[in-house]
Amino acid sequence: MKLQLVTLLGVKVDADVYEVILPTKDGEIAVFPGHEPLVGIAVSGAIAVRHNKGDADSSLEYFAISGGVIEIDQHNVRVLVDEADNGEDIIEAESKAALERALKMRENASSQVEIEKANQLVDRHAVRLKVADLRRRHRH
Amino acid sequence: MSSTRALKTRIRSVKSTKQITKAMQLVAASKMRKAQEVEKASAPYTRLANEILTHLSNLGETDRHPLFKNKPSVKSRLLIVIATDKGLAGAYDANVLKLYSRQLLDDQEAGVKTKTIAVGRRANRFVSKLKGVEVVAAYQDLPDDPAGSQLRAIVDTAIELFMDESVGAVDVVFTEFISSVQQQATMQRILPAGYEVTEVSESVSSAEFEPSPEEVLEAITYRLVEAQVYHALLTARASEYIMRMLAMKNATDNATDLIDDLTLEMNKARQSAITQELAEISGGVEAMK
Repeated sequence: MKLQLVTLLGVKVDADVYEVILPTKDGEIAVFPGHEPLVGIAVSGAIAVRHNKGDADSSLEYFAISGGVIEIDQHNVRVLVDEADNGEDIIEAESKAALERALKMRENASSQVEIEKANQLVDRHAVRLKVADLRRRHRH
Repeated sequence: MSSTRALKTRIRSVKSTKQITKAMQLVAASKMRKAQEVEKASAPYTRLANEILTHLSNLGETDRHPLFKNKPSVKSRLLIVIATDKGLAGAYDANVLKLYSRQLLDDQEAGVKTKTIAVGRRANRFVSKLKGVEVVAAYQDLPDDPAGSQLRAIVDTAIELFMDESVGAVDVVFTEFISSVQQQATMQRILPAGYEVTEVSESVSSAEFEPSPEEVLEAITYRLVEAQVYHALLTARASEYIMRMLAMKNATDNATDLIDDLTLEMNKARQSAITQELAEISGGVEAMK
C-alpha cells in the first residue's frame, strides 16, 4: 500500500508501507492494505507508519501533524496536512522547553491575538512532544 | 572643476555603494530561486485538494455550503494586501499598492466597506495612513517559507469574517510571478471559495466521507484557501526578489557609469593641474633670462 504525506512544503513521504495509524476525529484508526475507500478529517496528533509486515513497534516511524484531510482507498493512503514533522527531527528537550515557553506566553498574553498565537504554539509543541515521547517509549 | 581630492573621495564612496548593490543583487538572485522551488513544492497539495473538492461538488455539497455561497450584493469585503518588508525592489510596492488603492476607490464609489489585512512592513505603513479603512490585522517579517502555523492566523481571520458575514468577499492583492521578465500586480478572490475542476480519481469517487461530507468539505476548503494564500505569499516573494535583483543590477550599472565619468573628470583635473604647473615653470624660466 502506498502512503503519500502531502504538505505545503512538498511531498514528505511517498513510499510503500504496511500499516498507517492516523489520528481522526473519532479516535485513531489503523489502515492496512485493502481498506475501504474513505475521505476523512485528521486531527492534530501523531501519524505512525509501519513499513514492513514483520516490523516491531520500535521501528515505527512517527510524524507530528497539525490536522488535515485523509483519503484512503484499497492501495493508497493520501494525507493532506499543512505541516508534518518527522519524529526523527524532533528533539525532546527542545520541544519541552518550547512548550513551556508557549505556556508561559499564554499566561502573560495581554491581547486576543497573543492568546491565539500562544494557543497554536502550545498545540504544536504538545503534539511534537507526544511524538518524541512515543518514540522513546517504543525504543526502550 | 572640482579638486582631485574631492573627486577621489567621491569615487571611493560610489565604489563601496557599488559593492553593496552588487552583493544585494546576488543575494536576491539566489533567494528568488529558492522561493520558486518552495512555491512549486506546494503544487501536489493544491492538486489533491482540488480533486477532493471536485468530487464533493459533483455530489452537490458545495452548492449548499456557506463558504461557497455567492452573496447577491457585497456590502463589505476584506482585502489581503501583500507588499515587501524593506522595499528596494523597484516599482514592486508602488504597483501593488496602486492596485490596492484602486480597489479602495472602487469600493468607495460602490458604497462597499473595506477591511484590510496588511502583510509586509511597506503595506502596514501605507494602510495605517489611510482613513476609512479598517485594518483587521498586520503582519511583517514573515520568513521565506512561511510555516502552516503562521499562515493559519491569516486564513482563520479571513474565514471567520466571511462566516459571521461581516464581509461578503475576500480578495488577495499580490504580485504574480509570471516569468523572470514579467511580474504583475493582480487580485484573486479566495472567498467565496472556488476550485479548479479536475479529473477525479476512482479512489476518491467511490469513497465514504467521515464523519460527514459537510465536515470534510469544510476541512478541505480550509486547506484550499490556505494553499491559495500560501501561493500568493510565495509568488509575491519570488517577484519581490527578482525585482530587487533587477533594481540592484541597475544600481550597480549606474554606479559603474558614475565611476567611469568621475575617473575621467579626475584625470582631466589632474592633467590640467600638471599643464598649469608646467606653464608656470616655463614662464618663470622665461622671466629669469
